[in-house]
Parts: sequence; C-alpha cells; structure tokens
Amino acid sequence: MAFEANIEQFSGPLDLMLHLIRENKLDIFDLDVVVLCDQYLEYLEKMQDLKLEIESEYLVELATLIEYKSKKLLPKNSAELEDDYKEDPKDALVKRLIEHQKYKEVSLKFQEAYSERLEQMAKPLSDVDNFRDDTDDVLYDGNSYELLKAMNRILRRLKLSRPVETKLAKKEISVDDRILVIKARLKDMNESFDFDVLIDDCHDLQGVVVTFLAVLDLIKDSLLNFKIGEDDHIYLKRSVN
Amino acid sequence: MEAVANKELETDIEKKDEDNQDQTPSLGKEATIEGLLYVAGEDGIKAARIAETLDITLEDTCVYLENIKKRYRDDSFGIELVDYGGTYKFLTKREIAPYVQKLLDLTRSSNLSQSALETLAIIAYKQPITRVEIEDLRGVGCDMMLRKLLARGLIQESGRSQAPGRPILYEVTDEFMDSFKLESLSDLPILPDYSTDEESESLFSE
Repeated sequence: MAFEANIEQFSGPLDLMLHLIRENKLDIFDLDVVVLCDQYLEYLEKMQDLKLEIESEYLVELATLIEYKSKKLLPKNSAELEDDYKEDPKDALVKRLIEHQKYKEVSLKFQEAYSERLEQMAKPLSDVDNFRDDTDDVLYDGNSYELLKAMNRILRRLKLSRPVETKLAKKEISVDDRILVIKARLKDMNESFDFDVLIDDCHDLQGVVVTFLAVLDLIKDSLLNFKIGEDDHIYLKRSVN
Repeated sequence: MEAVANKELETDIEKKDEDNQDQTPSLGKEATIEGLLYVAGEDGIKAARIAETLDITLEDTCVYLENIKKRYRDDSFGIELVDYGGTYKFLTKREIAPYVQKLLDLTRSSNLSQSALETLAIIAYKQPITRVEIEDLRGVGCDMMLRKLLARGLIQESGRSQAPGRPILYEVTDEFMDSFKLESLSDLPILPDYSTDEESESLFSE
C-alpha cells in the first residue's frame, strides 16, 4: 500500500498513535499494543525512507511501545503480579491517548471560535493626544511580553495609518558593483576628471558613499590616482597601466 | 447652510464647556457609556473602570452595558457589544466580514497551528499548569510553543508550583479570552467524556 507520510500532519507521537488506531480500527479500550507497536514502527520507517527527520519525541514513545510489547510477549510470573501490583503500563498509555483525544477534539471548537473572532473587527483607540498633558512622567511596570504586545499594536496601527497602497522602491548597490560600473565608464572618460562626474548618476547619499568607497578601492588597486584641488574638489587621474 | 451648522457647533461646544464645569453631562448614562466604548475601540474597557469613571455602582454599570448589548444585537446594527474576558468593546458583526474583505481587498491569513490550539486548550482547562504537565499530556516538547504563545500574549506566567524545582505555572490571558470569544472560563466548551465503556463505541466513529 503506497501511502504518503507527512510528519507535519501530526502534532506529536500521541496524535500519530490515535491516527494508527483509527486507521487499523483498533479498540482503544482494549488496545492491542502489539499491532499498534508494529504499525508505529512501520510508519517511522516509512518516514525514514522519505528522508524525513524524525523528532526525538517519536522515538521516546517508540521505546515505550516496544517495552509494552516485549513485556506482553514474555511469560508472566503470576505470583509476582499479585505480590506487587502496579498500574498496567497499557492502561497508562490508553489514559494518555484518551486525554489527548479529548483536547484534540475540543481544539476544533477553539479553532472555530478563533476564526469567528477574526471576522469581527474593532477600531483602534481614538486619538486623544490633544487632551494629554505631555509633562506627566509615565511610570510603567509591565513585563517584557506586555511591551512586545504594545509594540506590535503600535506597528499595526502604523500600518493602518498608511495609505492602503504604497510602493517603495529602494535600490541598493554594493561597492563591488559600483567598481564594475566605474571601471566601464573610465574607458570613455578623459584621463583626469572631477569626482563629481562619477556621482552625477547618484540620487541619494548612499549612492555617493558607495561611489566614494569604490573609488578608494580603485586607488588602493592603483587604477586611479587622486589629488585634492585648491577648490576642495577631488580630482582623479587614470593610472597608466 | 454650513455657516449655520458651524454656529450650532460653536454653541454646542459652549454648552459642553458649561456642562464640564458642573460635571453633569446632559446625556443619559447609557449613552455616555456608549461614547466611552466608542473611544476605547479595540482596547475595550472593563465594567469596573466605567463605574469608576461615571461614579456609579458596578451593578448599575452592568445593567447599562447589558442594555447596550441587547440594543446592538438587533439586526438594524452592523456592530455589536461583546465582553470577552470581561472587557467590553464594540466589534463589527461577523456578517460584515465578507464585505470588509471585498472593500479592503483582504485575504485571511493569520491562523493558529493545531499544536498551538491543543496547547492552549490544555492550559485553559488545567490552569495553572507547568510546562512538564503540558508536555506529559501532549507527548511532545513545548518549550518553543510556550514562548510563542507568551509572545502573542495568549498565555502568561502565574507564579510557581510547589513541586520540586518550583517550575513556572502558566495560565491563559484576557487576550486569549478575547481571541476565543469567551466571556469567562466557564464558557469553555465541555470536554468530551470517554470514561464510561458504553461510550467507547462512539469514540472514533466517523
């Protein structure tokens, strides 16, 4: 039987066991640990075949299952059983599985309420800055999570206060790219020139700074020579080689 | 027309100033509360805070709030008053949601994972609860999950257990109550009960 294994589907080993119990129509109250153990192992092996990473929690539960199975296969010493009664490990597992099933089922209702609530919207707190006295010192005694929450709210409001559609284009040029551009331009230029010529295609400070760094690099590699003129301009000169 | 309106507005403001001086707004208490709720928006207000602000008893405040709630439940309103987690706030009714999406060109995104929901459910029913107890019920490590839920403000720490190592106890927050439409913890859905054998057959039947 070809069957797609996907570990993401299960929220943990208990979830996987519940799935296997359902799949194999096992009775949870009279659990056949041997079948469950075999199925569980088979599933993990399939995941391994698919090169899926198996979380350690799955292996811990596998170890427990194998322990149950081996205990079941070994002949029981009845005298010992009566002597020193312990909770059947199988019962403990069944209890855990049932508990898990409960929370799994109830979490569906949580999901429902959560989606419903998402569909209801509120307005942000009205702008009351005009009424506020700025000179008051505000003492705040919250914890870092409250601060985080508050900051998130501010960011959300900031997002809301912006126009619905904005387009921001930011071009970032690296120094290396700039060097290539300048090298290409050098061929068509006079032997000596003003630094200003190089930045005539720069529209912001970043462009100028990157160009300057690129020029420094070129000087270091002795592709350019420089001279500061009396008018405080930087004059550059192509090297002969 | 506009000039007239402005004039009226001015006299209104004057009147309001007078009112402020003797601290008696001419509006009814219920209407005043409605106004406060409008200003508070998504932050909402607790009944006790309203009572304090209007200098009336908590019982009276709750009666007014119930009245407003009832009034807005009517189909002629597009918003309603809720008090999830004891905080009163106005929300749009769910029926508006498809149109809001259309108007603002939105698609629904943020959702909680199955693991997050299960963890929250366990905490809500068993709180206050330690991390180890949660992990025991879920069979998986929950450290990261708890941190995520803390960061989202859905759970908070509530002191320490007396158990060895004095582990941190966790409980759900008002934000959780709001996110899951709960007025109080007694509103939590009843946990299914599988303890009796008669019901064993219904379990897993699809």
